[in-house]
Amino acid sequence: MSYAVRSDALAKARGAVLYGTDIESPGMLWGALVLAPIPHGTIRSIDLTAARAIPGVTAIGPEDLPRLLPGVPTDPERPIFPSTTIQYHAQPIAAVAAPTLEVARRAAQAVKVETRQHPAVESIDEAAIGPKPEVIGHVHARYGDLDGVFRTADFVLTETYRTNSVSQVALEPHAAIAEIRDDGTWFVRTSTQSPFGVREDLAAMLGIPESQIVVEGTWVGGGFGGKGSSLVEPYALVLAHASGRPVRLALTYREEFLLGRSTLPSLIRLSSAVRGGTIVGRRVLWKVDAGSSLPGRDFATGYGVGFTVGPYRVPAIELEGIALRTHKPPLGPHRAPLAPQCAFAAESHMDHLAQRLGVDSVEFRRRHVWLPGDLTHLGQTVGPFGLSQCLAEAGARARKWRERLPENHGIGVGAGFWSTGTGAGGEARLFLQPERLRIVQGEPEIGSGSVIRGLAAVAEVVLGIPRERIEVDYRDTATAPFDSGVWGSRTLGALGQAVEKAARELRAELAKRTDAPEGAIRLTVQGSELAVEVDGVFRPVREILRREEIENGGLTTYGTHYGVAGSFDALRVLDGTFYPYTDFTGAAHVAEVALDPELGTVRVVRYAAFHDAGRVVDFETAKAQVEGGIVMGLGTALTEEGLWSPEGVLQNPGLVDYRIPTLAEVPPIEVHFIEGFLGAGPFGAKGLGEPPIIPVPATIANAVRDACGEGPTELPMTGERLARHLKLLRT
Amino acid sequence: MTTAPSFTVNATSVDLSPIPESERLLDTLRWRLGLKGTKEGCRTGNCGACTVLVDRASVLSCLTLAHEVAGSEVTTIEGLAAEDVGARIMQSFADEGASQCGYCTPGFVMALASLLHERGAAGDLAGFEEDLQGNLCRCTGYVSIRRAAQRAREAVR
Repeated sequence: MSYAVRSDALAKARGAVLYGTDIESPGMLWGALVLAPIPHGTIRSIDLTAARAIPGVTAIGPEDLPRLLPGVPTDPERPIFPSTTIQYHAQPIAAVAAPTLEVARRAAQAVKVETRQHPAVESIDEAAIGPKPEVIGHVHARYGDLDGVFRTADFVLTETYRTNSVSQVALEPHAAIAEIRDDGTWFVRTSTQSPFGVREDLAAMLGIPESQIVVEGTWVGGGFGGKGSSLVEPYALVLAHASGRPVRLALTYREEFLLGRSTLPSLIRLSSAVRGGTIVGRRVLWKVDAGSSLPGRDFATGYGVGFTVGPYRVPAIELEGIALRTHKPPLGPHRAPLAPQCAFAAESHMDHLAQRLGVDSVEFRRRHVWLPGDLTHLGQTVGPFGLSQCLAEAGARARKWRERLPENHGIGVGAGFWSTGTGAGGEARLFLQPERLRIVQGEPEIGSGSVIRGLAAVAEVVLGIPRERIEVDYRDTATAPFDSGVWGSRTLGALGQAVEKAARELRAELAKRTDAPEGAIRLTVQGSELAVEVDGVFRPVREILRREEIENGGLTTYGTHYGVAGSFDALRVLDGTFYPYTDFTGAAHVAEVALDPELGTVRVVRYAAFHDAGRVVDFETAKAQVEGGIVMGLGTALTEEGLWSPEGVLQNPGLVDYRIPTLAEVPPIEVHFIEGFLGAGPFGAKGLGEPPIIPVPATIANAVRDACGEGPTELPMTGERLARHLKLLRT
Repeated sequence: MTTAPSFTVNATSVDLSPIPESERLLDTLRWRLGLKGTKEGCRTGNCGACTVLVDRASVLSCLTLAHEVAGSEVTTIEGLAAEDVGARIMQSFADEGASQCGYCTPGFVMALASLLHERGAAGDLAGFEEDLQGNLCRCTGYVSIRRAAQRAREAVR
């Protein structure tokens, strides 16, 4: 049998797909960035003379911006170039464009920069020497009789976990090609998760209305959060404006690590009061290193802090999250931003508590886990949520694996929850043509298949149309319906609802025109064209459509979806902005690991995942998300870490010293879906892009705990760290 | 210094105007010959996205100078697609859903083609997987790539 689940599959295998890095334009110049040599300091001078003396070179610095920018920027937090103060190492401070990449690089090196260095804030550790970080975000919430439960507890367990930064490592570097069109449009083609988001960023950074900007997304060679907002686009556009030529600007892979918005390091202090075998109170203090800019602070604190408690009922809670500004580069979202890190702490803590109580850790979780109708930490009602069932399955699998467990092996279970981004807006237009259905929308396919397969699957289910007759058509921001982008696992859940509505409207129209009940409508292939089948009778679509519809692209319907998130109890909030959850989804994972008692290295022997997915719309695509998320999570768990010098310079900006998982390290992986706890997405679907990575570091940490008796307290669990951990246990 | 190397790409001899001695084969293929199926990833020899065949052996085109392949036969993903074995490997990747973003896929296909050429389809599977470690994928978790490699071995047997 030969089937290709996805319509892009063969083109990708043949190398026939063009990504952002592959696009070129006649007469284009090649751009390169000039990066700040120090993490914090004053720019004394930037001398572009030598660069400009090279034939064909356009060079721009901070002083040129007032002349070159089409308007006055409205976002002072994100200057294109800093005017005086360098905020992080490798901050772009000038840019060049040249006829070849080699000349552009030479020109960038010829830019002379003089700076005066100031001490940099590089750590949120209280013990760190040097200036202290500035607080840029603070959230605080509390409820229940906290003092009472802590005073009367059987015991209180307090521990601190530390997590480090991880990079997205999409294989395709950020790349854009920009030009200023004759009509004054600032046009950029770019590898992005969110063309409309980039347009919004650019409007603020360039100081012009969105209507003057067109962003066209290309095929994307992986995003994982790193391509969610603008990065190379403003430089490419300003260089294009300055040179009068199209300009291509791609990051080098080193720049990917330096500027690509790795995720935020954090310190998580958890304290639990236990009485009668259950958790009666929890205090959390979460400090996150937000790097040098603000975009990260909201999700780091108000959105993320709930993940440090996890999906569990606790009658009294205090949550405090603090985002601190350092001179690291702008840090940002990485697949399920900070949830794997928080779950690592929360789930390690759960295992530790169960260990203290001498009870099975899965049973201990099931005593506390949210059931539909429970209230979250902020008093929001939990919707359909199948984590309890996932945990039951995971527990059974763990018991089975334990029957034959070799020495130095351990089995761990970890859980996690997520709120998929069904609340954000999206719109889609459908065109029914005699030979195909076309879905026109504004999200580029970044790899998961949620656009090219997921949206098609929604139409397939509603209209009964064969998948090979559905075309998902991506358009730029000038011609596509609005969509807020690929983030928050929202494509199927949110944009999918817009497609579902448009498909239902189309079905209603077909029913009207064929005088049939809606539920009976099915689109099938007759000869080379589509026909509407009603109870075994076929009517060609060509005959159902009006002539002007055929001439104008087809019978068209439009669907929009702007979801409404739930609400929580505002009285529990003492400070800062928290966000309600939109959809509740969760997963429980099980791993068996082999721990080398001397070297501290971990080999993952086997892995099983149980996911609450609401309703699975396309099994192969869903399973592929879970497999990929798990392996990415193994990197977060075991090897991936940005290493910063005390001076604030990233020491490992490359794949030699920043190790991601390879094919040889991947264990056998089982993927199971628990269906029936329906989400807000089409047919009850819940997003699956991010949830699979969330429980992974926790699961591995708990397996290590099982193997050696005590759990690690820092991510990643490198061999070096675990060898130290084991040595401490022996002494 | 610039001279014009002479080699064949996908069975066609290429006539290049003089190019710098330091030019990487990756850039020659992509930007002079327009063969964009060879992907540019890390440019440091660690990701495998730029893998091509030189005289049927896989090489990283980012670490190979165009001048080094003078007199050789270079095959890119575009050339492999026109060959029976190449087409079977590609179909195996499509059938097993072994691409998500797909940026690593041409590199994997080329590496697999060279392994199959070198060892035939019969060799030891574990060793086979060991030799695909030089190609990185960030999306799939390699599970479907493993299946695709196995399917390709069977398809070319």
